[in-house]
Amino acid sequence: MKLKIKLLFIGVFLGSLVLQVFAQTNFVVTGSVKNKTTGEALVGASVVNDKTHKSTLTNEIGKFTISAEKGATLTITYIGMSPFKYKVNSANELTIAMEEDIKKNEEVIVVGYGTQKVTKVSGAISTIKSADIEKLKPVRAEDALQGRASGVTVVSNGSPGIKPTVLIRGIPSYTGNDPLVVIDGVAQTLDDLNSISSADIESINVLKDAAATAIYGVHGGNGVILITTKTGRKNKKPEINVSSNYGIQEATRQMPLLNATEYGAIVNEGSLADGGAAPFTDLSKLGIGTNWQNQVFHHSALQSHSITARGASETINYFVSGAFTGQDGIIGGGDKSYFKRYNATANFSADVTSKLKVTANTSFVNIKGAGIPENGFNSVLGNAINFDPTVSIYNTIPNSYGKYSYSNNILSENVNPLTQLDNTYNKSNTNKLYGKIELQYEVAKNLNFTSRYGYTNVDITGKSFSPLAFYGPANQLSTLNADGSTIAGSHNTVSQYKTTYYNYSFENYATYNFKVHRDHNFETLLGITMAKNTSNSISGSKKDVQFNSWDFAEIFAATGSAINSSITTGKSEKRNLSYYGRINYDYSGKYLASFSLRRDGSSVFGPEKKFGNFYATSLGWVISSEKFYNPNIVEYLKLRGSYGITGSDVVSPQYQQISSIPYTYGLGQNTVYTFGSNTTTTGATILSYANNALSWETQKQLNAGFDARLFKNKVSLSVDYFDKRVSGLLFTPAISLYLGAAQPSIANVGDTKVSGLDISIGYTDMISKDFKFSTNATFTTSKNMVTYTGGNQIISGGWYGVQSQSVTRFQKGFAPAYFYGYKTKGLFQTVDEIAKSPTQANAKPGDIKYADLNRDGIINDSDKTTVGNPYPKFTIGWSISLEYKGFDFTTYLYASVGNDIYRAYERNSQFSNKYRGILSRWTGQGTTNDAKSPRVTFTDENNNARVSDRYVEDGSFLKVKDLQVGYTFPNKLFRDAFNKIRIYMQVKNAITLTKYTGYDPEISNGGILETGIDRGAYPQARIYSMGIDLKF
Amino acid sequence: MKKIRITICVAVVLVTIISCNKFVNYNPHEDYVTTADDYFKSSSDYQALVVGAYAPLGWIWANTVIGDVASDNAASGGESASVDWEFDQIDNFLTTPNNSKVKEAWVACYEGINRVNYLDENKGKLSFAGKDSLYGQAYFLRAFYYFELVKMFGDVPLFVDHRLTLSDNKALSRTPKANVYKQMEIDLKNAVANLPVTQTDKGRATKYSAEALLGKVYLYENKYDSALAILEKVINSGAFSLVTNFGSIFLQAGENGPESVFEIQYSNAVPFYDWTQAGRGEGNLAVQSCGVRNITGTSSYAPGWSLNLPTKELSTAYSAGDSRKASTILDIEAFKIANPSYGITYKVAPYKNTGLYNQKYQPRQGESSGQIELNYLNNFRTIRYADVLLMAAEANNRASTPNDTKAQAYLNMVRARAYGDASHATTATGTTLKQAIWDERRLELAMEGDRFFDLVRTGQAATKLTGFKVGKNELFPIPQQEIDNSGLAQNPGY
Repeated sequence: MKLKIKLLFIGVFLGSLVLQVFAQTNFVVTGSVKNKTTGEALVGASVVNDKTHKSTLTNEIGKFTISAEKGATLTITYIGMSPFKYKVNSANELTIAMEEDIKKNEEVIVVGYGTQKVTKVSGAISTIKSADIEKLKPVRAEDALQGRASGVTVVSNGSPGIKPTVLIRGIPSYTGNDPLVVIDGVAQTLDDLNSISSADIESINVLKDAAATAIYGVHGGNGVILITTKTGRKNKKPEINVSSNYGIQEATRQMPLLNATEYGAIVNEGSLADGGAAPFTDLSKLGIGTNWQNQVFHHSALQSHSITARGASETINYFVSGAFTGQDGIIGGGDKSYFKRYNATANFSADVTSKLKVTANTSFVNIKGAGIPENGFNSVLGNAINFDPTVSIYNTIPNSYGKYSYSNNILSENVNPLTQLDNTYNKSNTNKLYGKIELQYEVAKNLNFTSRYGYTNVDITGKSFSPLAFYGPANQLSTLNADGSTIAGSHNTVSQYKTTYYNYSFENYATYNFKVHRDHNFETLLGITMAKNTSNSISGSKKDVQFNSWDFAEIFAATGSAINSSITTGKSEKRNLSYYGRINYDYSGKYLASFSLRRDGSSVFGPEKKFGNFYATSLGWVISSEKFYNPNIVEYLKLRGSYGITGSDVVSPQYQQISSIPYTYGLGQNTVYTFGSNTTTTGATILSYANNALSWETQKQLNAGFDARLFKNKVSLSVDYFDKRVSGLLFTPAISLYLGAAQPSIANVGDTKVSGLDISIGYTDMISKDFKFSTNATFTTSKNMVTYTGGNQIISGGWYGVQSQSVTRFQKGFAPAYFYGYKTKGLFQTVDEIAKSPTQANAKPGDIKYADLNRDGIINDSDKTTVGNPYPKFTIGWSISLEYKGFDFTTYLYASVGNDIYRAYERNSQFSNKYRGILSRWTGQGTTNDAKSPRVTFTDENNNARVSDRYVEDGSFLKVKDLQVGYTFPNKLFRDAFNKIRIYMQVKNAITLTKYTGYDPEISNGGILETGIDRGAYPQARIYSMGIDLKF
Repeated sequence: MKKIRITICVAVVLVTIISCNKFVNYNPHEDYVTTADDYFKSSSDYQALVVGAYAPLGWIWANTVIGDVASDNAASGGESASVDWEFDQIDNFLTTPNNSKVKEAWVACYEGINRVNYLDENKGKLSFAGKDSLYGQAYFLRAFYYFELVKMFGDVPLFVDHRLTLSDNKALSRTPKANVYKQMEIDLKNAVANLPVTQTDKGRATKYSAEALLGKVYLYENKYDSALAILEKVINSGAFSLVTNFGSIFLQAGENGPESVFEIQYSNAVPFYDWTQAGRGEGNLAVQSCGVRNITGTSSYAPGWSLNLPTKELSTAYSAGDSRKASTILDIEAFKIANPSYGITYKVAPYKNTGLYNQKYQPRQGESSGQIELNYLNNFRTIRYADVLLMAAEANNRASTPNDTKAQAYLNMVRARAYGDASHATTATGTTLKQAIWDERRLELAMEGDRFFDLVRTGQAATKLTGFKVGKNELFPIPQQEIDNSGLAQNPGY
């Protein structure tokens, strides 16, 4: 094909020579265009004849041919280069060396409602570019933020497709800390990031300080993630990218547990300690037993494939893409745990007239998922940890029911994890259509009016099936008898749901840019937005699925009676109305100032507080542009400062409701009563209280920072200090218990304070013509403190275990979500020591000795204190990339320091398997004084299992998150077919260095008070993959 | 031209602004929510709220368990000291203010009181036939809840006129117990005056349940003459009789039987699944709690959590021939041996095992539904006729003019039923008779939640209970959350 083009080219060339002969004033001009600095041929540069308006593009070796008459001017343009003008005098072959346009390369970045030149930005913004994202190939876009954007903390577990905890600049709130996500100008949520294909992303900008976020007002308080998708680029050749990646995932490590013999010995010891008999009379028969972890962890696939195409004509540009990402779970394998995503995107934009531009972005996503029980001592992983190691994998009793074995010792909660997996059936399907239609109209010169309708429509359907199952003849979870018959009164159940979201935002805004005199530049914005988010759901369940089979699990096909079925619906709607404006000012790019204002109203606020005002102002000073400035080492230096108020509105209307619903789950407010054997009588009660003064959380943020470029622009540095004060914190206050069980309304109580430092530093150098080196590092730290909770109110969270103990607290004077428990002081060695110590009822030698912090001589609740913090003191991200000739090497390291983990995966029952650390337990006076290793006891009368620092571990870690070697084939090799071929091998989560004894120190369970509690959290997998990127 | 364009744009913006001022208003009706404005329009609204006021009765299942675990009748049992720490604390007289079972008693009773008060608050909004009788039930319930509170906590915040709102948060303090008793008397007298002698719906309060409860309240106030008068009204009405077969009272067929004066109704009709609020459904969690662990086989028993285990000492307190022993205490090993055909296997109670189980409320196959653990249908036989007889006996014995003949007669009715003959009749008088009545109360009402409160009432607790600290353990601690949130004074010793 390329050969044909060449022949054509030669033909045209010859033809033009002929033409030249006949029309002396008309030349055929040929030339080649290259980058002046690198000498690289510029492919797809635009060459326009200013007189005839005819244009052409340079070919794959940077050459062009165009006819021009004498005296005409050719304008050559290329992205990132200064335009080049050439006056035609003769038909000489030209060599055009284009210079990089420094001013242009100080790119524009996307900000709220527009773009801004980086040099003129006086707020705090972090940027991730498409090149980084393309290389990383994240399953979810926020993976790309971890450690790459300073000021952003991402904590994620390994469950396929799971939403991670994303915090921008600390933990300001208890109710909701999710940042706002804006995709191509349309506001969405963090949940929506699971639906965007990384191949579609042009850039991610994270707005951090009030100057940047105040334009989003009440939605901006937790920071804003702006995602810009790709569009077709004018004056560039059409481009097709194909990318394919296939990998194998594996668990990075196993939890050290007791083997069967050790287990038998420990169980015997526990029973004997409390006067019982030894359950295992012959330990020698037990052997190693079964390691259930080997049984539940699988090697499973992760793959992603995408194809994108973009291009433009004079008036239309387009970007279309299709992508597939599939991740199978490492626990249970791809049959039971998976995430599959199919994406299709079409972004079109047309210049209808020279003043009117229409853009339509449309994305369709289909997500299929299935999951397994997670995050608890009775999850699949929890069972692999806690289940009996003495039994075989498979059922070995001839002619008996069940594929897998069961335990005769563990009879409740914990079961054979393989039986559990076998009986886990669920699936979900999400169809999502989102996008925007946008009109941009140039009303007058520099006065643009934009009208945008953004929409998201999501349909989620799901189904789950709990079959009748056999976990052992005496297991309380069994619903089948040992012979496979149904236990009286047991039923299987199929549950189905469908949820629909429809969100729209209708935005109208105008921008007007003008100059006063020569150097006073103004950019102004004024707008209004109406937005509505609605959700509708319906769910139901029915018992008695035929044949006890997933194949027949559908509500209509189940035969259960009316009493054994249920149906319910849900609905919510939220409407917002906002007015906003902004003025950016700069004096010849040297002095910068910006002021933004937003007025937000919301249907969820109480009638007394419908509207709130938010604003921010910022100043910047580019010192290096001053005449007096001597750019010796530091070529560029800008100081920035901002202050502003934003908000957070994660609430729903609070009203006094009278409910006649039998049970309001989670609130424990039943209203029914059954008189005698009559049918149940419906009652009613007050379910909740009103709060007419409900409003937003207010965040006041101060930011000070600077940007610098040093050593001939090779080093870039950005440093920001921030201080955030949040007031009117939304949470459910703890009320007097004598008010009864009605749900107290969410109210604006409480303050927090967050301060911290974001640093990013980069270094890029061409060490030789063939060797390019670049490295980037980010440093993120924040100090979080709850300063007021409306009196002494405390929110507890992180509940775990059969005792349902709470670990985390949101409390005045402490960091949010700190671990709250007893401090240990070793172990009691003697009866005498117990007698001399503060009263600790029922303690025996070998039990944990707790610290009497209030020195009242008794160990009780008032001795509990802070024993850990699940959030890191700081995180560091560090990437290094080397390019030598066609080879490239990238590594990316991420470190989290100071995050504590609470070990909560143990069932702690008499017969549950235990962490190996128990082998160094106390067995008599002087054997150990380590509070992590008390004596083994069946009855645990001292309650050694209470929340204490015994279970707290240092979760600091350093992970080699990405290790990648690639090779790009030289252009010559494939010139006929491709522009670029790169193949690579990649290892994600290659190495983890941590003292934490569990699977993975990155533990996010959704919600601020849930982070760092390891209930058997789904660990991140190590992924070995290879892939190919093709560019046509 | 330019001006026209600008004008059009400005007009578009203005129209949008004007049209959407109402856009952010909100009315709960959008979300199909019923509010107080929609209510009190018909008598059925009032009736529904009364039903709602009954509901928290079911939540206080643990109070019944506490009545035996805290006494010499039962050991806490369960899985271990750390898993079942709440009942373990109570058993050992080491209850801490964060004990969630104690907290639930507080919250559930106050929820019930608030539900009644909401009716009181809106009493004037509508007149309808049967209103006074309906309110009679409500007042009975309020007295019942306050009685539970006073028995457990002594002085408690007292309020009657309205459902507390957020503005009442932290506003109240503890009212002397005597005043709370006074309110109970008012409420119960009102109930007695307005309630019918029978209700079509079993389990609704009747005139007699109000009289019996009032009698019990008087006893706790040491007002024996008043107690005597009101209790004998119940006896003399002839509405109740003792069931011949003691054990049959506690079977499903025996619910709301001829001996039932008031029962807390539980049901498995609407299965409940919420483990986070496990006791707030319609099922009786005390039943699941006291079951034999992992019992299998074809007997009627279903597995449970081995809590609330009768002590050996209770078992030996029954004399030979007393039919109540076998109906109160299940010796599982003996039962297994006696009935080999059932093929029973079970797990020995792992903590504080006595080998004995609460036969009166054992979980049985098929009596639950949905989430089996949470939906046992067994009613609590809260006030039985036998209790009324024993209370009347005690009131006669301790009245300002004692009548031991009558006291003996009432006591011997109970004993005759227990032994199936009249040969075990008591002839004691005076304080011997009083002690005999108290001892009989234990045997008759064991595992029904009466014992601990009875021991405290009669001043026997210190002598009968090891570990009981006088001046402290008569009462349970006010929940810590209430101390923190509302600044109430804690009970002595906690």
